[in-house]
Order: sequence, then C-alpha cells, then structure tokens
Amino acid sequence: MSTLSSLSAVADWRSWAVFRRNMLVFARHWRTAVIPPAMEPVIFFLAFGLGFSGFIEDFTYRGIDLNYATYISAGLIAYTGFGTPYYEALYSAYFRMFYQKTWDGILATQVELPNVVWGEILWAAARGTVNISIVALTVAVFGALGLVDVRPQFLVFMPFLGFIAGCAFASFALIFTAIVPAIDHMNYPVFLIGWPLGLVSNTFFPVEPENPTLAALMELNPIYHLAECARGLLVLGDPGSHLLGLLGSSVLWLVPSTLLAVRLTRRRVLGD
Amino acid sequence: MTAAILEARGLTKRYGGRAVVDQLDLRCKKGSVLGLLGANGAGKTTTLRMLYGFVPPDAGAIYYAGKRFDEQRTEAKREIGVCTQDDSLEYDLTVEQNLLVYASYFRPRVRNLRRRAAELLDRFGLSPYASQSPQVLSGGFVRRLLIARSIVHSPTILFLDEPTTGLDPSARLDVWELIDGLRAEGLAVVLTTHYMDEAERLSDELLVIHQGRGIARGEPHRVIDDVLGDHVVIVPRSEPARDEIGRWLRARGAQEVATVLGELRVPVGKEELAELTTRFADATWQVRPPNLDDLFIALARRNGRSE
Repeated sequence: MSTLSSLSAVADWRSWAVFRRNMLVFARHWRTAVIPPAMEPVIFFLAFGLGFSGFIEDFTYRGIDLNYATYISAGLIAYTGFGTPYYEALYSAYFRMFYQKTWDGILATQVELPNVVWGEILWAAARGTVNISIVALTVAVFGALGLVDVRPQFLVFMPFLGFIAGCAFASFALIFTAIVPAIDHMNYPVFLIGWPLGLVSNTFFPVEPENPTLAALMELNPIYHLAECARGLLVLGDPGSHLLGLLGSSVLWLVPSTLLAVRLTRRRVLGD
Repeated sequence: MTAAILEARGLTKRYGGRAVVDQLDLRCKKGSVLGLLGANGAGKTTTLRMLYGFVPPDAGAIYYAGKRFDEQRTEAKREIGVCTQDDSLEYDLTVEQNLLVYASYFRPRVRNLRRRAAELLDRFGLSPYASQSPQVLSGGFVRRLLIARSIVHSPTILFLDEPTTGLDPSARLDVWELIDGLRAEGLAVVLTTHYMDEAERLSDELLVIHQGRGIARGEPHRVIDDVLGDHVVIVPRSEPARDEIGRWLRARGAQEVATVLGELRVPVGKEELAELTTRFADATWQVRPPNLDDLFIALARRNGRSE
C-alpha cells in the first residue's frame, strides 16, 4: 500500500466505520469512560492551580499580569489534549489489538489496516475533545467564580484545537502500541516519554530554553503550541503565532507517525 | 462444469527465504466445501491468510469469480466471509449489535440489515440472547455467532478456520449442520480442520498440503488412496513378530510406519499385503481401509522428518 493511500485513508468510509465502532462501545460505558478520567485534570487544577496560587506571585505573560491558576488553566487543557489521546491510543488500542482481537475481526472485512489505524487515531483524538470539553467547562465555572481570569467565549475553541493535536499524539502512541511486546512495557512510552513531554511543554510551568537546539525542539512540540495557543486565546484573545505552530507541528508529527504506525501495525497484526 | 468462485494459481509465500507456501493451486466451487488438510506448519494458515487478503502472495494470483483479487480487492472482499479461529467477538456489544456493527464494515450496505440480522439470529438459535452480551454464550453458541457474523453481508464464499476446535461433540455436530446448510444454499466454503472425521464428512474436495505444496487433491477417499494406498495393516502391541514385521515393511519401502500406543499402523499396497500374508502367516494382524487419521499421522511424520 502506497504512502499516499495510507494517508488518504483518513477520508475513507472504512476508517470512519472503525471510529463509529469505538464510539458505539464508548457510548455503552460512557459514565465510567468519561467521568473518572476527566476528573484527573480537574483534581490537578484544584491541587496545583488553586493550591499553589497562594504561594506563587503573579507574573507577566505577554505583557499582562497573570496569576498561576489562570496560567495552569490553559496548561491543563493542553495536557488533557495530549494525555487523553496518547493513553487511549496506547492502552485501549492495545487491548483491542492484542486481547480482544477486535482488529483481526475488522480486518477480515473490507476494512484495511490503514483504516484501522486512522479509525483509532480519529477516535483517540475525539476522546481528547470530550475530556477537553469537561476541563473547559470546569475552567468556565472557576472563571465565573472569579478564581481564574479567562475569556470564556474562547473556551469553545479548545476542543477543536485539541482534536488537531490529538491526532498527532494518537498516531505517535500507535507506534508504541505496535511494538511493545506486552502491556507492562507500556511503562516506557508512558513514564519515559509521555510524562516528561507533558511537563516540559509550558503546561504547568514556563520553559524557556536558551539553548537554540532545545528551543528548536520546543517549536516542534505540539503540546507546547497547544498550551500557548490556548493560553493566548484565553488570556489575550489572540493565539499569536502558536496557531500556525500547532498546525505545523501537528502535521509534522502526524504524517511520519501514521506511516510508521501503519507499517509496524501491519507487521504486528498481519505478520507481513 | 461449475465455475469456480475461488481460484488460486501458483500461490507462493516466502518468509526468511523459505517458501512456506510453494506454487499452490486450488479451486472452490459454488455450493461445495474445500477442505485444506495438513500437519502443523504445512502452510494452511498462510494459504488462508493470502486468500482472504491478510498477506499478499510473493507470486501467483488469486481470482474471485474470475476477477483478480489484487486488482479488485475491495469488491472481492465484499464477497468473502471469514471466520477465524480466534474469538474476535465484541463483548462490549450485544449479540445483535455484533452482527450490525460487523455489517457496517461492508459496502454496498447490507440491505434490510435488521431483518437480515434477525434471520441469522433465528437460524443460528441466537434469538434468545440477541440483547445480551456474548459473555452469556457457551462455546458452541460463540462459534455460531462467529459464523453468523461472518455471513451477515451474504458473501459467496466463506473461510472457516478450524470452526469446531474446542467444542463438545454435540456442539460440533450443530456446527456441522450449519455448514452443511450453508453449502446447500450455494455458499462456497473453504475449511481447515484438525478433525479428520469433520474433514471427511464435510468436504466435497480435499487439498492436502505438505511443506507448502499441494500433494493430493480430490474427493476424500481418492486423496487417501493417492497418498496412502489401498490398505492399512495394524499389528497389535501383543504380537511377538511386531518389530520384525515393521522392519520387513520398511525394507520393502513402506514410508509411513506409525506406532500408536504400541500398535503398528502401516499403509500398504495390494502387492505388499499379499506378500505380508504369505510371509507372516502365523502372525496376528488386521487390515482396514485407510482413513484421514492415517493420512494426517503420515503427513505429520513427513513434516517431522523434513524439519
């Protein structure tokens, strides 16, 4: 299968059939699938945002004074936009592939392997938008209570921004899903990649590397752009150059990661 | 002559430079069951995986209803039903949803899908469980659901990979009845099984695969004759001349001398049998026609020798 057809499979009805299958299963268990995981960023917000705010002085962000709770609001949206699709594409996809043999069943139909990969990417990104929506709602409530100072009208854009980046994170995660020999090995992409990457992306604290190489790497990180884009919109009503950065870096992650994930998943699932 | 629904010519697949399937030809006609037979590692599974499109062949061509599979893959897959050995049911969905969701992976869409699903549930005895998870089903009913799911889109050919493995005798018979019914309706079926009675009873034609090559094909009794000959001599463990008979038969070129629980089983031709009767007139032994069990054991031994 060519590179082009692997990528164009995103628009194929078969990829969306896989997406719909995942959505249907999710709909049967939506309470347990949504509420506990979505509480994580809310708890983070309460613990770090409101908890630390009393100890951290206001600081200047793009020319305006900002308290830490407001800073972390955007960070948590970005972290959720990263974490939800990343872990969905690691754990849930692995279960479907390895334990439940769901992909084997699907591949015995007209659906092809790139469709399965794209279905998983789209679904994981969609899961991200669900959780981002819950975090955004929480931020809106805290804003109404005067705990954070955000422009609530821009919160509606957050799920859309998260979906774009979520596709990139999910495709990246599927590479590991295809190669880890057993579920325990997921600790590597979770603790050695996911956690550090999520932390050094202007989510919970600003990172401003002076080293030009590190600064360039930062520019390639969609989580960083998602955090800054969300922050720019919520605080200033202007995402600045980060909207373009988010789109560019997401595509830069998405395309090679998807191609690699298709190739590795083919080897893993079909043995070819 | 009935046109073949499936035809494969010169099918070859190599892994690590070794041909796992080597120049294999096969045909399956409408309303018939083709049994693929071979010991473990003979190449059956790889053959099946090529036929339903999991892996591409390195050489050869596959045709469905006369059209090349690699040129009209999506259209051809609409005509294929696959029931793999692994249980890939959706346990988060109901029994009925398993059929409905599976049907959503096909275009053109299944017409009157709900009615089709209801018909299948009824026919396979699954209606009482329609709104429940497959978790409530016994092994036999899980297999029924897997088969029902694989034909929800009304394919013209069905691949069944060891459909009764792990089932009790009663459930096996039920699955046999279902397969027989599907054949009677005109479905072409490609079947792999380790149960020789199953292969013998269900298959209209057998293809025996050994080291990736088709070594015999045709009606079951004919295949047995081709590979093993006319008779099987059985020398009981208690016969004092058992070892001597074995040595004598081997010296006469008998390849497939098997020992089963101390009992010697050797396929022989008419001439060998006549000589054996003369030479060991005082010994106790039996003669019976060869069956697929003998064939399978012989193939497994050949595989063992070649590995």
